[in-house]
Amino acid sequence: MSTGNEFDTDMIETLGPEFTVFVGLLLIMVVPNLGNGTFRIPGTSIRLPWFLGGTRFKAVASPRLPGLLAVLTMALALFQVIWYLLDATPADGQDIMAGGVFIFKVNMFSRIFEAIFFAALLLAAIASLDRLPIGSQKSDDIDVLFNNRRQADFYILMLTSALGMSVVALAQDMFVLFVGLELASFSTYILVAFHKESRAGSEGGAKYFIVGSVASAVGLYGLSMLYLWSGSLQFHELAAHWEAQGATSLSMMALGFVLVGFAFKISAAPFHFAAPDAYSGANSPVAGVLATASKAMGMLGLMRVLLIITVPEANADGSAIWIGLLGVLAAVTMTWGNIAALGSENPKRMLAYSSVAHAGYMLAALTAIGAWNWGLVDNAGVAMDVVVAALLFHMFVLVFFKLGAFLVLGVLEMEGGASRLSSLAGLGKREPLLAVAMFLFMISLAGVPPMAGFLSKLLVIMGIVEVATGTGSLSSIGDAHWVWWLALLMVVNSAISMFYYLRVGVVMYFHEPEEGRKGPLASGASIRIAIALCAIGTVAFGLVGGELIELCRDAAESLR
Amino acid sequence: MNVDYLSMMVILPILASIFLLILTSRLDPAARAKFDAPVRMAAFIISLAMFAVATLMFLGQIGDAGWNDIAFNTFEFQESYVWIEQLGITWTVGVDGLSFPMVWLTTLLMPITIIATWNEKAGATYFPLMLMLGGALIGVFVALDMFMFYVFWELTLIPMFFMILKWGGKDRKYAAQKFFIYTFTASVIMLLGLLTMYFLMDTQTFSIQEMVVQASGANASGFWLGLEVQKILFIMLMLGFLVKLPAAPFHTWLPDAHVQAPTGGSMMLAGVMLKMGAYGMFRLPISLFPHALEEFQFIIMMIGLVSLVWGAIVCLGQTNLKKMVAYSSVSHMGVILLGIASMQPLGWAAALFMMFAHGIISPMLFAVCGAFKHHYHSMEIGAMRGMAKHSPWLATSMMFGWMASLGLPLLAGFVAELMLMVAYWYAYGWWIIFPGLVLAITAAYYLWSMQRTIFEGGEATQPPESLHGEPVPDIDNFEKIAMLLLAAFTILFGIMPWIFLDMMDMWTRSAMAFLGLGGA
Repeated sequence: MSTGNEFDTDMIETLGPEFTVFVGLLLIMVVPNLGNGTFRIPGTSIRLPWFLGGTRFKAVASPRLPGLLAVLTMALALFQVIWYLLDATPADGQDIMAGGVFIFKVNMFSRIFEAIFFAALLLAAIASLDRLPIGSQKSDDIDVLFNNRRQADFYILMLTSALGMSVVALAQDMFVLFVGLELASFSTYILVAFHKESRAGSEGGAKYFIVGSVASAVGLYGLSMLYLWSGSLQFHELAAHWEAQGATSLSMMALGFVLVGFAFKISAAPFHFAAPDAYSGANSPVAGVLATASKAMGMLGLMRVLLIITVPEANADGSAIWIGLLGVLAAVTMTWGNIAALGSENPKRMLAYSSVAHAGYMLAALTAIGAWNWGLVDNAGVAMDVVVAALLFHMFVLVFFKLGAFLVLGVLEMEGGASRLSSLAGLGKREPLLAVAMFLFMISLAGVPPMAGFLSKLLVIMGIVEVATGTGSLSSIGDAHWVWWLALLMVVNSAISMFYYLRVGVVMYFHEPEEGRKGPLASGASIRIAIALCAIGTVAFGLVGGELIELCRDAAESLR
Repeated sequence: MNVDYLSMMVILPILASIFLLILTSRLDPAARAKFDAPVRMAAFIISLAMFAVATLMFLGQIGDAGWNDIAFNTFEFQESYVWIEQLGITWTVGVDGLSFPMVWLTTLLMPITIIATWNEKAGATYFPLMLMLGGALIGVFVALDMFMFYVFWELTLIPMFFMILKWGGKDRKYAAQKFFIYTFTASVIMLLGLLTMYFLMDTQTFSIQEMVVQASGANASGFWLGLEVQKILFIMLMLGFLVKLPAAPFHTWLPDAHVQAPTGGSMMLAGVMLKMGAYGMFRLPISLFPHALEEFQFIIMMIGLVSLVWGAIVCLGQTNLKKMVAYSSVSHMGVILLGIASMQPLGWAAALFMMFAHGIISPMLFAVCGAFKHHYHSMEIGAMRGMAKHSPWLATSMMFGWMASLGLPLLAGFVAELMLMVAYWYAYGWWIIFPGLVLAITAAYYLWSMQRTIFEGGEATQPPESLHGEPVPDIDNFEKIAMLLLAAFTILFGIMPWIFLDMMDMWTRSAMAFLGLGGA
């Protein structure tokens, strides 16, 4: 483990993907503004070429440029991250320190999260290339807006959220993590409300912002209490302090507050109320990012806090101290999400609630880690490896089918809206391939083999069951750890969720299209490419997910 | 050269179907209509080739084994490849006396179903879905890996869901969703049971063979995993299979699915998909948890009896021909449960042969219903009278099918029923009154429905009103061929049941001895 110090070239090499995003961000800010502007030296009439402002050069005035730059940046960053992942071993890890404080740590665990973030944002950026981030259909509006700077703004916000998310992934200090979280959150708040012409967009953005900032404030309050308790916000010091002192009323309260902050990010019940409004108000690629990358970011925070800080602690019965709380939260979240999704007529709200349900499944898996001290699983590491690997795999493949589903709705939005289930009607006849892709995403979300969603759900359930069955010699199922019942609740919930996922298929293939919505949809090559990538990922990782599972296991091992 | 025929029979139809579906989906509707006939022909040729391969395998002409080896040895044509190495998941295929008859049956029914629905004008996507269904069904029967088994188990739902949804009757939307959700719910619970079992094993493996060996080793000297756990896992696994079978009280999806499904879908559903449930019972819970089976013997018998009696009584009250046939399937599936619960080698063999015989007879019943619907646009039993007069072919096929289903001697169904009755008498004595009574009810509803459609009216025939005065057509040549083929096989296996019965008998004897059950 090498230890970098201060800023040097070594560090730039280590943090290649992050610097790539940063440079891309600067380019998007500067390049579209290049023009024949000049600078007059004061008091003289000498004008020096200054290249900013004035009449913009033709090459840089294209409204497509910011999008292309963003796609290129994300692709480059993703490529570097994947390159690192393929090369690295679990033992690798590089610390970035500043003034004797651990700021970042680059290892497989943080990198795989970056891969999730960048993949989601890359797909969303590709999908946004051809479509305006607004719903208006009048041609004069389009001209106005196309030439407007909104294109640049949109992609700048995407890249800042990418930067924020990667800071969260790398952070080794609660405060750094919080800064990254806020950077990403604020970018997404604006992205949600980017749709400012529509009431739904502004309303969703406002709600999301208000609830989100309250949750952040509560989390920050928790952080300050943690600091009060331990005198440091460094992960390793918090862990050591926890081991030495154990749970005190102060630390438990702090932990609770911090959990609220992250629970909002993963939209766990009862902190999920803003999510359906935000998802349905935002344009589809952004909603897809919220449901995948943003959720993975919250999950990452939860893992950092719960696993690194609290796993050394054990209850008298051999489980982590937060296990009961988290178990209840998981059960409520998955059930609530599924039942609410049953009654949603708006497909985006339906997907939002299904994303709440998926948050519940992930929380159930985290709960299982808390039962690590149970029988066969003789150390926290084994339980963590199994479950964390399953979670990583789940979040990784979720990018493909969750985002893909949102993108299909995005194609419909280009036609004039996807706010009712009936907007999907007749898609099977109008666009057979798009309908097939949507159906694949739906059954993957429900967990039907041979889709990636099945494999990920299988891994999560396997992780829970493995921890719950423990030594393997039970005299009855009642002897298994109670997290086994969470697995049962999970499969029952999967069955419930089948109702609303199948309904999408039925509407697409059974219902006649609405008035005025006949024939093929507006073309949009880039969004279709993104959907095709998602569909390929959904099927491919379901059939041959072995390599990715291996990668996730290594990444989970590097967390220890 | 060693060719992996089984994997080919699973993968090729699925790939062919995906290829055909993509090919046709790229075309505009006008061009697609031209593709109907070639696609149908392609599907037919592929299914015929699969039938040829299965038959040649049975005859020992290809591969390194024949029916002898399949009957006497454990698994033949076994091949194994690594699938997902990181989880220890393999692609393992093989057939034994339990699965081979089902594989052969699937390959037999596919071409016949395609012939029977040759003129349905179902468009270019119907037959590819049929191929996908066939491939997935064979996948279920040949899978020797738990993961692979489950993947194909669920995969069969997707083509069937679309077949019902796209070409079904009036309430197809409801029926398709009900079908999918019922079976999916049951199978996820089964999956949790399988996974729990996986982690409780001493040597964790997904291989069904190794699991069975491990279980029997532990069961010989006590209870594998402990009786309590064994019972719970047995219930969880059985639930998945009972819903698929279906047995009362989980049977309510079946009449809906059958009535709404298109003819071809019904034929495959009744012919093979229901058998997946019975097959799964033998392959997993019964082979793994014989002690739990002994504990639940009486309950399973009661479930079987209730299905049998309930199905038959409901049949009496049906006015819809297809619904009646669907409930008669529930009734016949009850026979399989009775066979299992008899815990006799004879009873098990009867159950296996019932699976096979019903797999040939019930498609014929549904083909008759389909022809009825196709030509007369009605399914009401009372809608038409005196069919013998104006549609002799359909009337004859109907009569033959009905007779075979109610167990006429020399036809395949009789063999299974007779064997069951004997075994049941050994096991439960005077309880035999109930299945005996049901045979009488079965005869009653079949004869009554025949009387009302075929004969009544005599010279003065009454064509169905739904024809609006048009001349009454008889079935077309393709349907005739399908009916003749099904009838021929019904007679063949009625006279020479030993073709597959010996194989099944060997399997049940060795299985019972292996599991330490019954008087084998």
